[in-house]
Amino acid sequence: MSYHYNEAFENPDYHNSETLESGRRKASQMNSMFRQNPYDSSPYDSYTDHDGREQRQSYSVDIPMATMQPGLEVSQSAKRWGTPNANPYGNTHINHSFEYEPEFTYTPPSTLSTVDGPFARRSSDASEASIVQRRNRQRADSVFTTSSDFDRTDANAAAYNENKESQEEKIIRNLASMTTRERIKAIQKMPKTMKEKREIRNKVLMEKTRKSVSYSTEIHCCTQCMYKIALSYRRFRNGLSELFQSLQLWQKTLKIIGGKFGTSVLSYFVFLTWLLTFNIFSFLVNFSFVTIPQFIAAGSNNLSFTGLELLTGAGYFQQTVLYYGFYTNSTITKIENSTSYDMQLAYIFTIGIYFVICFFSLVYSMAKSFRNNFVNPQTYSGNAGKLLCIWDFNITNEKAVRLKQKNLSTQIKEALSEGKSEDLNLSLKQRMVHIAIHLAAWIFSLGTTAVCCTCVYYLSINNLKLFMKGDGTELENQAATLVLPIVVSLLNLLTPFVFSLLELLEKFQYPRNQIYVTITRNVILKMSIIGILCYYWLNIVATSATECWETLVGQDIYRLVVVDFLFCLLGSFFGEFIRRIIGTKCLKNLGVPEFDIARNVLGLIYVQTLTWIGIFFSPLLPAIQIIFFFIIFYVKKVSLMMNCQPPRKVWRASQMTTLFIFLLFFPSFTGVLSVVAITIWRLNPSEKCGPFRGLSSIFDAVSRWIDVLTNYPRSAWVVWIYHNLIESVHFFFILTVIIIIITYLYWQIIEGRKIMVRLLHEQIINEGKDKMFLLEKLRALQASTRDTPARKGASQQFSTTSSLYQPPGQLDQQRHLSMPNYLERPLEKNKSSFSAKPPYTADFPETSGFLPGDPQRQQPSTKPGVSEALALAMRARQQAEREMEDEDEEDFRS
Amino acid sequence: MGNKQTIFTPEQLDAYQDCTFFTRKEILRLFYRYRDLAPQLVPLDYSDKPDVMLPYELISSMPELKDNPFRQRIAEVFSEDGEGNMTLDDFLDMFSVLSEMAPRDLKAYYAFKIYDFNNDDYICKSDLEKTVNKLTRHELTPEEVSLVCEKVIEEADLDNDGKLSLEDFQHMILRAPDFLSFSKSDQQRNGEYIHICLT
Repeated sequence: MSYHYNEAFENPDYHNSETLESGRRKASQMNSMFRQNPYDSSPYDSYTDHDGREQRQSYSVDIPMATMQPGLEVSQSAKRWGTPNANPYGNTHINHSFEYEPEFTYTPPSTLSTVDGPFARRSSDASEASIVQRRNRQRADSVFTTSSDFDRTDANAAAYNENKESQEEKIIRNLASMTTRERIKAIQKMPKTMKEKREIRNKVLMEKTRKSVSYSTEIHCCTQCMYKIALSYRRFRNGLSELFQSLQLWQKTLKIIGGKFGTSVLSYFVFLTWLLTFNIFSFLVNFSFVTIPQFIAAGSNNLSFTGLELLTGAGYFQQTVLYYGFYTNSTITKIENSTSYDMQLAYIFTIGIYFVICFFSLVYSMAKSFRNNFVNPQTYSGNAGKLLCIWDFNITNEKAVRLKQKNLSTQIKEALSEGKSEDLNLSLKQRMVHIAIHLAAWIFSLGTTAVCCTCVYYLSINNLKLFMKGDGTELENQAATLVLPIVVSLLNLLTPFVFSLLELLEKFQYPRNQIYVTITRNVILKMSIIGILCYYWLNIVATSATECWETLVGQDIYRLVVVDFLFCLLGSFFGEFIRRIIGTKCLKNLGVPEFDIARNVLGLIYVQTLTWIGIFFSPLLPAIQIIFFFIIFYVKKVSLMMNCQPPRKVWRASQMTTLFIFLLFFPSFTGVLSVVAITIWRLNPSEKCGPFRGLSSIFDAVSRWIDVLTNYPRSAWVVWIYHNLIESVHFFFILTVIIIIITYLYWQIIEGRKIMVRLLHEQIINEGKDKMFLLEKLRALQASTRDTPARKGASQQFSTTSSLYQPPGQLDQQRHLSMPNYLERPLEKNKSSFSAKPPYTADFPETSGFLPGDPQRQQPSTKPGVSEALALAMRARQQAEREMEDEDEEDFRS
Repeated sequence: MGNKQTIFTPEQLDAYQDCTFFTRKEILRLFYRYRDLAPQLVPLDYSDKPDVMLPYELISSMPELKDNPFRQRIAEVFSEDGEGNMTLDDFLDMFSVLSEMAPRDLKAYYAFKIYDFNNDDYICKSDLEKTVNKLTRHELTPEEVSLVCEKVIEEADLDNDGKLSLEDFQHMILRAPDFLSFSKSDQQRNGEYIHICLT
């Protein structure tokens, strides 16, 4: 077995069949090639091709190297030459063996130049075939080393092939040493065709089995068994991943949205589903650790249910697990003398751990998003990136494609005019006017925010008074509580429209700045409203003489969430549906509304902030939020599909997503954390309700628990951790110092890397200059040598010698273009000497130049003087290239 | 759970799984999509590796490619004959690279090839001009197009050779986060809809 494998591996025919262009098409037989005799050419017989090349496989019968005598070769090829209509691909195939025959390819130039035309042509085929396979199949390395195929001689081609094979062997060896998972990943990532990948995979598997066989031939059965188990395990895992995949929500809907509206609108929906999963998680945690135990201990609820409670969250709901006040402070024991469930600790730990998990997952996704999307933003202003990366391949809808194309062309036009107007310096007066307008807009927006906040503040105090007095009927009271959330939601809905009117006044130079400024203003507005509400809850409600202030806060948040949801529905009805009807029926120039991603996402962030604050006061709020998010998803989807068009603005989806995750973390989540921390450490819990009744602060529950634990020696470590880590100021002081030091270190490393990147960048430019210089030299050298034989006069000898300088096909296209005369002249000579030869077209290097079976290729230059110079230049350049590659790698790594 | 499929041998399926980013189910689903393009040409039994190739016209009629201005280039790049005619292998390969599971490097590599219209391993000015025209449906004047292309080359060409090599391109892509619109975890995989995240 192992012997067989080696034979296959070292057999040149094997390589031929897999490295040559023609071998590509029948790679499906490669599997069998492995197991069967590699010399067996029978699989080719069945091959047929749709474009009329079926004949060419018959030539792929490999001629053993030993029989490949030059004389025989010549006669054969001459014969074939005599019938030009014979398969053009034949030569390529017959010449397989040449590539692997170093003596032949290194044949001194004298023999080559004296042999007649066909022979020279044929051997050039060999080198060309190798080039072809590089060009067409091994694009990965060919692209990386493209410049090195510049004027390669036969020797170089052979050397290259050997090099490539050794590389491939190396790859295979590397792959074989990897674990299965890594190997699959590596193979999947290869930029090669499926057949190549499969070949490599099969080779690696062979290598692996060969190794294992050589280790132990006796326990063959056992290894096979292991292999089978591994295989079935892998299949099982694949099946499992498929199952998980099918569990994911809305994948098809998301695809459709992405296809119709592009990634920018999709980002809103992805954000929505992301928040939804957050809420599902928090609901599961709260429900299983807080609510279910409470169900066991719950008393009966004797309040009546009228229906208005759904809106206000008061009344009937007051006596349910929805609110903090309903939870008991006792330990729950179902069975006598068994372990009990301490509600206080369960409540505080569940919510605490939930927030810790949220914190880490947010930090993780934020950091990942930053790493992916803000790699090195200062290097490029992004014009090039804009152009080449702008196409949203997501879009599969014809209308969307047209729209996108139109938007793109206007954007490019704008960018061009921007570039022109940038040179025009604004006069001092104009600049002053601009600054004044911006300043006025900011003052106006901040003023509006302040007015909104005071409005909300007085309304909320009024709201509390109303609640405390309690006059009027029950229904009136309940309705009165709805005033505050309605006003807050109205402010949240309408003020952004005012802000967007400011945009029209301000006229930013770049639309990007406009987006950022609008988002900043909206965030300031929403967060200050929430801030005022938090102040009201923590400083006024908590100190008021209400019976159970936590439940009151919970109800307030519940109402805010519900009313905001209703306004969201109304918003998409009026803002999108009615707006579309107006836009299409009445005022035609208004057109179909755009989907405002920023406003919608900020709305989501606002609601999520409320939910997080509310989790402590109303543990089941995430459940309500889940329902709302579900409904919002479908409503928005339908509204989008029916009413909207894709946004016209430049919307850099990934950067915006990063920004939104950041916003969700920074003002929102950190604010929530501080609110919850104040609640737990500073405030007095209500005396008559909730799990923490009777304690001076909520955190006392933990201290008491620790006091109890001190009596048990087995849990001394918990006590130690509590006293030395959580309560200790010193620990936090040291921790802070360490974190600051680490941050500083990383910052310094980043600075160093930046310098390094700059230096490497300069170096790349220098290397490029070197390359250009060498190319120039080479070109000059070739031009001078070309002129010499041209003067000698025309003869058969002349045509062959002049053809020596003809580019062997691997020339840079640039060179062809730059030297059209140079190309055409020898070609014409050739035409005159070989009448059977079809005429060349001037653009052959572009199109037909690299076709596999172009038998009329000339022998590349092997004249000693020239080739020495060439070799020198080649070597220098290859070295430079290698260095460059290394640097690139470093660059990317850093 | 569909264990009775007789289209591929288990070994073939394993090989496909190892070489693409797809699961078994997705591979089968893609096979059926491939077959639906030309049911009379594609046999239902692939275990003996029939050599079937669908012409470009059929491939480009797929909804995922139909409206894409680069459909011809995509098909050419992924087909073995370079003319857009595809075998099943090519087809799977294309979907694998264009799916959102494919890493950014791989996509950058193929995006480079898609934009490299004349297959010379460089994105030169003429390639860029073609790209711009495809992107804007010939709405720009030739002067504007050439101005844009000059700017792009000037900006992204690191080694000053007047054209963009793969290195230049990858370098640029690394700095253009919108190239891959979402991190992979944000999105779902689905073989049914091609999801080309080159942007």
